[in-house]
Amino acid sequence: MDPGDGDEALLARVAAGDPAAIRSLVARKLPRLLALAGRMLGESAEAEDVAQETFVRAWKQAGSWQPSGARFDTWLHRVALNLCYDRLRRRREVAMDHLPDRADDGPGPDRGLQARDVGRRVAAAMAALPDRQREAVSLCHYQEVSNIEAAALMGVSVEALESLLSRGRRALRAALADMVEP
Amino acid sequence: MTPERFETLAEAHGGDVARWPAAEREAAAALMIAQPVLAQGVLARAATLDLALDAWAPMAVTHDLRERVIAAAPGARRRSPLAAWFWGAGLSAGLAAACAAGLAVGVVLYDESQPDEAVSAALAGYDDFTAAVTGEGA
Repeated sequence: MDPGDGDEALLARVAAGDPAAIRSLVARKLPRLLALAGRMLGESAEAEDVAQETFVRAWKQAGSWQPSGARFDTWLHRVALNLCYDRLRRRREVAMDHLPDRADDGPGPDRGLQARDVGRRVAAAMAALPDRQREAVSLCHYQEVSNIEAAALMGVSVEALESLLSRGRRALRAALADMVEP
Repeated sequence: MTPERFETLAEAHGGDVARWPAAEREAAAALMIAQPVLAQGVLARAATLDLALDAWAPMAVTHDLRERVIAAAPGARRRSPLAAWFWGAGLSAGLAAACAAGLAVGVVLYDESQPDEAVSAALAGYDDFTAAVTGEGA
């Protein structure tokens, strides 16, 4: 089922203050938005802030939402991504003054390949990607957004999206070579 | 579709053809039939990266975050869980307990030796009231 199915009907009830509709919309969208923010920003309180702020804007929008415009799910993703980019910009400004030591994200001699370790390695590899490549991989691989919708969200052509995805996945493959190469 | 294009798509979109651009899936399927060994090798390589990426589980939604989001929603003010409990089961239980306590106190205070006096006093008051209204005894 498409994650956007039935959103408009739910929104109308949300605007009327229907508690069941509010809980239903939160159950449907919050995990997706938090996942996206977590992929973009790393697992952090900032990711939770982004998810919460996205909903604050969604609640304001609920009463005036026009079903003929963009899909609500797409709009939510756009808001969340903009909020993520605000925070990434702020991080870069801070990093100019305080460059942190790079975390060791490579395989250690005694490191086993348990799922949690792999997850950590992937998170580090994703964090090391340029923002736009990370955004493309987050949208297409993790959020399972179609290429046309992802390109529209990112304001690029589908060809440019494909290029971002290819470069992103190549970099990830290189960073995780010991796990993904035969 | 050329084998090169097939590889490019796998590199960009991963090893699951169902997640490739809709406009290219049919041609991809045709190539998979025409060149199964090549296609299988390309998809298997892409799938190893997909598998690794999927090991990074998404952040879990905490109860606290969910409640904060819901608390900001439009419409009726949200009650805190404690308030909701109080106005629901808590209040009902409280009222039931109060009724039970009142009954118990009533039973304890009830004195069988004095019932007539209490009733007489009440009726006397009623008689005085009736007389005042009707003018009797004036």
